[in-house]
This record gives sequence, C-alpha cells and structure tokens, in this order.
Amino acid sequence: MIELVQVSKSFNAGKANQFTAVREVSLAIAPGRVTVLKGPSGSGKTTLLTLIGCMARPTSGRIVLRGIAPASFAGPDGTGEIEITSLPERFLTGIRRTTFGFIFQQFNLVRGITVLENVMLPAYPTGEAHGSVRRRAMELLELFNVGRHASAPVDRLSGGEAQRVAIARALINDPAIVIADEPTAHLDTGLSREFMEIAGSFKAAGKTILIASHDPIVFDSPLADAVVEMRDGRVTRGGSAP
Amino acid sequence: MNRTIERHRHIIDFALSSLLRRKGKNLSLLAVYVLIVFMIGSVMFFIQALKREAALILQGAPDMVVQRLVAGRQDLIPVGYGDKIGAIRGVSGVRPRLWGYYYDPAVGANYTLMAADGDRQAPGTAVIGSGVAATRRLAQGDFLTLRDYSGEPVLLEVAGIMPYASDLVAADLIVMAESDLRALFNLPGGSATDLAVAVRNPRELATIAAKIARQFPDTRPILKSEILRTYDSIFDWRGGMVVVLLAVAVLSFVIFAWDKATGLSAEERKEIGILKSIGWETGDVLLLKFWEGTVISLSAFLAGVILAYGHLFFFSAPLFEHALKGWAVIYPRFRLTPAIDAYQLAVLFVLTVVPYTVATIIPSWQAATVDPDAAMRS
Amino acid sequence: MRNSTSFIAVTSVNLALFALFMLHGRYSRGNEAALLKPCADLVKRLRLTDLCLFTEARYTRNPAMADSHAPFQDHPVALEHFPSGSLVTPPRFRPEAP
Repeated sequence: MIELVQVSKSFNAGKANQFTAVREVSLAIAPGRVTVLKGPSGSGKTTLLTLIGCMARPTSGRIVLRGIAPASFAGPDGTGEIEITSLPERFLTGIRRTTFGFIFQQFNLVRGITVLENVMLPAYPTGEAHGSVRRRAMELLELFNVGRHASAPVDRLSGGEAQRVAIARALINDPAIVIADEPTAHLDTGLSREFMEIAGSFKAAGKTILIASHDPIVFDSPLADAVVEMRDGRVTRGGSAP
Repeated sequence: MNRTIERHRHIIDFALSSLLRRKGKNLSLLAVYVLIVFMIGSVMFFIQALKREAALILQGAPDMVVQRLVAGRQDLIPVGYGDKIGAIRGVSGVRPRLWGYYYDPAVGANYTLMAADGDRQAPGTAVIGSGVAATRRLAQGDFLTLRDYSGEPVLLEVAGIMPYASDLVAADLIVMAESDLRALFNLPGGSATDLAVAVRNPRELATIAAKIARQFPDTRPILKSEILRTYDSIFDWRGGMVVVLLAVAVLSFVIFAWDKATGLSAEERKEIGILKSIGWETGDVLLLKFWEGTVISLSAFLAGVILAYGHLFFFSAPLFEHALKGWAVIYPRFRLTPAIDAYQLAVLFVLTVVPYTVATIIPSWQAATVDPDAAMRS
Repeated sequence: MRNSTSFIAVTSVNLALFALFMLHGRYSRGNEAALLKPCADLVKRLRLTDLCLFTEARYTRNPAMADSHAPFQDHPVALEHFPSGSLVTPPRFRPEAP
C-alpha cells in the first residue's frame, strides 16, 4: 500500500513564477490493483507520479510505503513500513531501482545504443552477473514481441515498439510497483487495448499498477480497479483517503 | 567482490557504447591524444637517456682542463704553464691538448682536428671518424686533402677509420701527428690549445683550480664536474625548444579538454536524468563519467608511451634526428640505452591522464546530484 | 563480445607490452657498458671533453669548453645563429670574473 499524506509540490518556490503542481493530496493506493489517475493535462498527474516513484521530493507532506518494499529496506520497527520522503538520496535510489518500474510518457530511452542495452541499463549498477541480466532482458523483449529488435539502435523503432521496449526496461529489476505516465498517448486504439491487457498481466503477477491517463480506453477499462480524478493539483473524486 | 567487478564492467560497457555513438569524433580525439603523449614521452625519454649516456661516456674525461684567455677570448696556452702546474701539490700529471676546428667548404662540414700523443700517429697519416669518412667518401688508404693556414693543400693518408660505435664522441674527428697539426694551423712550438690536468684526489680539485687561477690569472680552469654538468643541463627542462614543445602540447591538450570542460549539453544533462530515473545513483553516474574519461586517457597514455619507447630505442629516434642535426653535415650514429624511471612516467601520467579524466568528471558533478525529475524537465 | 571485455583485452595487451619494454630497458642497462666501451675508451685515450652531437658550429661542438662569449666570437648576435643554439645553452657557474 502506498500512502500519501497532505503531499504538496511547488516549483520555483519563492520566485515570481512559483507554480504549485500538487496541492495537499492525501491518497491511499491499494496493493496488487490497477489505479488510474484521471484528469486533464496540467492537473498534476505526472508530478504526483514522479513523487510516488521517488524521483522528486514533495515540498511538504509524507509518502509511506507499506508492505511492498523489499525486506532489506524495512524500517527500524521492522513492520516493513518506509517513509520515502525522509530517506537520504542513496537509499531512495535503491528503492527506486528495486521497487518501482517507471514507464515515461516520452519513453526516455537512451538514444544511440541498442534496444537490449537500454533494457539492461537499470540493472547495471547492481553488479548482477551479466549473463543473467541479459537472459532476463531477452525474455522480456520476447514477451512483448520486440525480441527481434534486440540488437537494433532504439532510434529506429516505431512508437509502439519503443513503448514496449520502455515497458521491458521498467520490468528488468522485477519491481513490485509499475508506474506508467500517459502510456497510450502515442498509440492507436488497438495498441492501447493491448497495453491494458499487458497491465492486466502485471496485476495477475501480483504487481501494483499506477497509471496516469486522460484516455478513456484506460480509465474506462474494466481492468481499472480504482479511478482517482484530479484537477488543478487536487484530488476531486475517488481514491480512499488514509 | 564479484559484484563490484561486475558493476564496473557493466558501467564500462555503457561508457564504451556511449563513446561509440560518436565514433569518428572520439577516435580522432584518441589519435591526437596518443600523438601528444608520444611527443612528450619521446622528448622526456630521449633527454633522460642522452643525459645518462653522456654522464657514463664522459666519466673518463680529464679531471681539469686549463684554458688561457686573452682579451676575454680563448687563446693558445704556453706549454710552460703546464710544467709549473705540474709542480703544484696534488697534481699527478699535465698533458697539453692540441686541437682545433677545420671548416671544409666543399661539403659545409666542421671537423675537429686533434694531435695524437707522442709518436702514436705517423706524420702524413691520420685516423678519421666515420662521419668524416662518409662525408668525404674516404676509405682506408685513401688521401684526405686539407688546406693549411696559407691555403696550400695538405695530404694525409687515411691510416684508419674509427668504428661507428665510437661515433658519439668521434664522428668528426681527424687525429694526426702533432707536427702535421702545427704545420697546418701554423701553431708556434711550445703552445697548446689547452692543458689536461690529472689530479690525485678529486676532492682537492676546487682548491687546485683556485691555486692555478691565482698563479696564472689569465687562465680559466674547467673542472670535470662542470664538464659533466654541461650535459646534464644541456637539455634541461627549462631550456629552449623543450619548453616550447611542452607548452604547445599542453595547450593543445587544454583545447581538447575544453569540449568537455565547458559543461554538459542539454542532451547530456537529460541523459543523466534518465539514468537517475531508472535507478542509477549519483555515484554510479560519476563512475560512468570517470570511465568515459579513463578509457580514452589510459589507452592513449599506454599507446603513446609504447610508441615513444619503440621510436627511441628500437628505431633510434629518427624524428629527433632532424631537430638535433640542425644544419650540421656530420651527425653521429648512436643507439640509446633506455633510461626511463618511475618519476618520469608519473610526471607524464599526471600531465596527460589526470587533466582529461578530471575534465570529464567535474562538469557532470552538478548534473549528477540533481533530482532526476528536474534533470529531465530541463 | 562485451565492450568491457574488448577494453580489458586491449588494455592488458598494452600493459603487457609496457611491462615488456620496462624489462627490456632494465636488461639493456645491464649490457650498456659493452656498448659504450668504444666511446669511453676514446674519451680516456684522447682526453676528450664533449660528445660529438652538434657539429654545426664551433661553439656548439664543444659546449663544455665554451662560454657565453664563444658564440659572439663569430658574430655579435650569433647566439641563435644555428638551430643547435636553441637546444644548447652555455653552461652556467663559471669561476672567472664577469
């Protein structure tokens, strides 16, 4: 379970162009389910996802992970509860690497290198044996039907293929939580439905899925267990407050 | 341990993939880098080897050489001085040296003419260095023609040619009988070019030199230590061409590192953001930059040093021959003995590898510590 | 082949060559007495004071015997007359009065 308590995020604090993306959001995200953040662009969905995914720190508020993170990161009381917001950067990165898999709206693949290397990248600093990382990467690429592009540079792929590579990359460290930001933005209807099916398969594997989207195919999908509506940085409907 | 090695290897994998994205640029950078290390290394090793060789060869030089100065310029010294100097306590022997320079306009070469001791060389004959033999195309038994002070030709039979192995001291030498030399240059009897003084106790050299200078104020004694020090300082770091060469090399280096040192492009910054967002720590990113710099600088250093060594000690430094030869016609053939020490290599390493690696890491430092979200937005 | 494998291979070869050359250097230094003997013998026999490296001009031929005035014996501004002049500086520390 991911718990957010009065989380706010402002950019350029104190300056003339101060901008508050997320305002006092309190939310509880259930484990093992697909939660969709719905709202127009500018509603703070992406920012909220980056906060949950340990890529930025909130300006105020707390984010707590319960019973999801690996035991090695268990809090001092051993209950498996970690407050992300108070962790030093080093541990934050460790959690980011092992617990979360992030699929960006822009894919954010590293250009100029091969598909395979892109998928293996998140595992590089862990010191895991090359052979096993490679095998897992190939399996994932095969799973998403892009195995044949393994040695090709990522720049050559189509939108749909690139997205599947991005998904494979997000899964290389077998994360417990998968976060996807506007995953269907560059996909046609058929591929969008396919994506939701893939999300469903993650759920079946016991992962927690968090998707931000303003695409009806996503938030109206029967696979979506909970829909949280956001507007202007606040939660307007849905999502059980802790 | 394995995990650490694997982590480094993975990061090197990515560093190389990253560098290979701009293959042309990085390969030419590497090539120039190797060239710079090669140049600096060659000069450093060459100087060191030459200094060492000079010190070893000139071990047998005279303990002291006494010259005479007239009106501030070197002039002939009376042999009589030598008799008196020989009487000074501590002096074990004085031998007059009779030698001079001869300019051969036909080939534009300078020769050094020396008188042999006593009867060692028969009048009308000469032993010549291999450089003279080559320039004048002489073989043993041929006749060497010189012109004396009045322009009259003098013929000397070549009694022998000194071996190539002695070139470094004798390439331009012509050793002849004393009488022939005096006749050639019209040198009055009882005079010598300078005096070679042998001393029993080397520690008394300075005292004896002072005594000589006092007794003969028109003389200038030159000690063996000064002779050796001449060659020590001859290619000194501070001297002439070497400084210019090094300054140019270091400057061109700075230009190459400039590309890295003036900060990261937006694309590089974004890429670091991506790496951090997929779980790379700041330390991992910095390690990546370190390896990116080290892959190039270490390879260039090793290749440059290996090439410099080969150039100097297997091919006898053909590239330097030109610089050393200048306008000279006679240039000695010699094989240098390698004389590289750890200090030299350390200096070379610090001059070449460290600046480049540092210039690759430092600009990335700030970007590496920024939140991934902020990095990707910028 | 992994990138790092190639890099490690190349660097190992380089290091091996490097080590080989250092050993070669040490070995050569052990043998140099024989190589230098002809020169050393001549220096002793003829009481020589200089190497025959710079035969361009008189003041470059015997640097150990020269002084800062020697070049000027040729010509007032002869100090850099010949290329060797920029390599060879007259030795310092002369005991005579300036």
